[in-house]
Amino acid sequence: MKIAIEELASCSGCTIAILDLHEALLDVLGKAEIVYAPVIMDVKEPPEGIDIAFVTGAVRNEENQERLRKIRKRAKTVVALGTCACYGGISGLSMLFNKEDMFNYVFRGVETVKPDGVIPKDVPPFLYRAFAVGDIEKVDYYITGCPPKEMYLKKILPALVAGEPLALSKKSVCSECDRVMGAHEKWQLKRRYEGIPDREHCLLGQGYLCLGAVTFGRCGASCPHSNVPCHGCNGPSLDILREPCRDIYNMMIRRIADLTDKPEAEIEKEIYDVAHTFYPFTIGSLIMEDKGISKIRDLIKERNV
Amino acid sequence: MTEIRISPMTRLEGHAQVRITLNAQNQVERAHFSVMELRGFEKFLIGAAVEEAPRITPRICGICPTSHHLASVKAVDAILGAEPPETGKKLRELLNHAQYIHSHAIHFFMLAAPDFIVGHDAPAADRSVIGIAKKSPALAKKAIEVRKLGQRITEAVGGKPIHPSNAIPGGMSRPLDEATRGSLLAMAKGGLAIAQEGWDLARVMMDGTDLTLGTVETGFLGMTKEKKYSPYEGTVEIIGKDRSPLGTFTGVDYTKQIEEFSEDWSYLKFTRLKNGTFYRVGPLARLNICSSMGTPVADAALKEYRAKFGETVQAPLAYNLARYVEFLASCERAVELLQDPAITGTNIRAPVSGVKATRGVGIIEAPRGTLIHDYTVNEKGFIERCNLLVATCQNNYAIDRTVEAVARPLVKDGALTEAAANRIEMVIRSYDPCISCATHAIGKRAWPIELVRHGHRSGEGEALRLEKGDDLLC
Repeated sequence: MKIAIEELASCSGCTIAILDLHEALLDVLGKAEIVYAPVIMDVKEPPEGIDIAFVTGAVRNEENQERLRKIRKRAKTVVALGTCACYGGISGLSMLFNKEDMFNYVFRGVETVKPDGVIPKDVPPFLYRAFAVGDIEKVDYYITGCPPKEMYLKKILPALVAGEPLALSKKSVCSECDRVMGAHEKWQLKRRYEGIPDREHCLLGQGYLCLGAVTFGRCGASCPHSNVPCHGCNGPSLDILREPCRDIYNMMIRRIADLTDKPEAEIEKEIYDVAHTFYPFTIGSLIMEDKGISKIRDLIKERNV
Repeated sequence: MTEIRISPMTRLEGHAQVRITLNAQNQVERAHFSVMELRGFEKFLIGAAVEEAPRITPRICGICPTSHHLASVKAVDAILGAEPPETGKKLRELLNHAQYIHSHAIHFFMLAAPDFIVGHDAPAADRSVIGIAKKSPALAKKAIEVRKLGQRITEAVGGKPIHPSNAIPGGMSRPLDEATRGSLLAMAKGGLAIAQEGWDLARVMMDGTDLTLGTVETGFLGMTKEKKYSPYEGTVEIIGKDRSPLGTFTGVDYTKQIEEFSEDWSYLKFTRLKNGTFYRVGPLARLNICSSMGTPVADAALKEYRAKFGETVQAPLAYNLARYVEFLASCERAVELLQDPAITGTNIRAPVSGVKATRGVGIIEAPRGTLIHDYTVNEKGFIERCNLLVATCQNNYAIDRTVEAVARPLVKDGALTEAAANRIEMVIRSYDPCISCATHAIGKRAWPIELVRHGHRSGEGEALRLEKGDDLLC
């Protein structure tokens, strides 16, 4: 069994998540051989005959695309590992601005550079937009999470290596959360820094934009458990993936309306910074953008990309 | 004119390549460390509600997410006028040491050690942590165990082992309970014991360190507190290559000292002091600047390190040892903090209400060096300007010059062997460069594996803007 890990536009966190199997990684390595993983070993090109290739990161330039095509050709099974590979992830936020504006700001605009700074040209060009891996090539399995969590990878990796089926929860973050519903009269949306949430009750009910209801689980609701609202890093919940009329934004608004009896139009007036609070992990996903009701297209359009 | 490329560089975080240009006599004309990715966080954070920054910026780097999380939350604290209570601050400090334990362990044992344990001229397929697991399984198990300590503390205190979320404006979101404290303390004591054992290995590496390999001369920049090693908070000090003091700063005053510039052939910006002096950051810099580590085991190690290398160390390969001294310090401080009764206090968070200042700067020592997050917001707390100064950017010039210094004698008759190529990579690796941090990868260029020779490319001469004769060139 030959395994490869290819990193595209990413932070390497998903590779670290594999190392975070800790001693259990040695068991996996007893049954499978890592033949290519540039972050941890010196083999500089994916060999032929890979059984399972884990691809992490989004596709943001031509080389990402070429490497993705190559690994797809050389691997029997391709696994999109992590939210960037599955939905574009945080790199998708780069689409809020066009690349000229970005280069001008980074190399000529910030306070520590000079207005006549060099904008590098002898470097690879961007694609016109960010893509998730599955937007471009056939993907056999998706493992979401930013990054995927140890307790699940510990089950998933040995099962993949052994070629055995595995049934895991497909529920939302809310299903893993231990909070209870409280009273929510006079509900008002709060900024996530305001006040101190109580530990017992639903964060959304307390006025915090917690995306648990619209986010795929398998994280043990770790953020709500730590008294921090969910910001959706596992990507959308299964109902949103399946239903064209369901999207992160409209399902959140509907959820708040159901909870509070406040009209949806009134709730929408309180919403702020839709790009960074609703779509920071999915804005680069074509399947999410293609939903007729998605706000992604508006967000990108209003910034002239 | 021909060009040799080593690409992609391996066992470092993110993608980069070495480009060596040869002259008509097949000798090295010039060589560069070239980074081929940009993600643009500085730009796409604009418009964000500022409290989202500590959640978004950890995604800059999966190896040092905690450093970005903490630098970012310190900047947001400044904007919201929040001062975390004592326990909140101690939990953040513990989180920071957990980051060091994980990051330094991964670099020392898993990325750098294969060159020293398996051998830098061993076959490429064996030069990895997997090679170490085969050659020295006991060492691999210990490396796994001690890195796990870092990740377990980060998970318990930060909420998640990778991309933590619990440092929030005003402090921390969740206290540490007594039972968890107890189990982490037992792990930390075990981790410290492993780290102390590993010092013997580090010592062997220290004795074998080639002090001449790729040496450049620069000044140094790093944070201390009353001259002591202090990676979470303090004053940033700058010294010259002869150890002369070149200034200090806190907060927004970094803009008075540091400037950035760019080159045509790399997405990664370079920094220097405004007076033109180049400097380095990270373990080597911090140890050159501080008077002591503040913990007994690390201080003893520092004494040995200084006896071997001197008070002011310029050799890049000494980074590996400096990193180990810090690794010891973080294991010791983790034990100390977990023994501190205040660590399980429940007063962890100061309430915050709104924008008190429209600009906030958060500075922290990340494992790879000084990290600065600088946000300017409008009166409602939405980001209008953002500047991120990361470690690898500040080491970029030294890495680039090191590459040329090492490549020059290694290229023989216009050719570079695989082992020689790894020798160049080995020196670069000593800086532990983090390309994701440095540029925020939106894309990366990966060239065919081995060494590829390119034909003459027109206009190439114009790409070189660094002046020869600069005092950093060897």
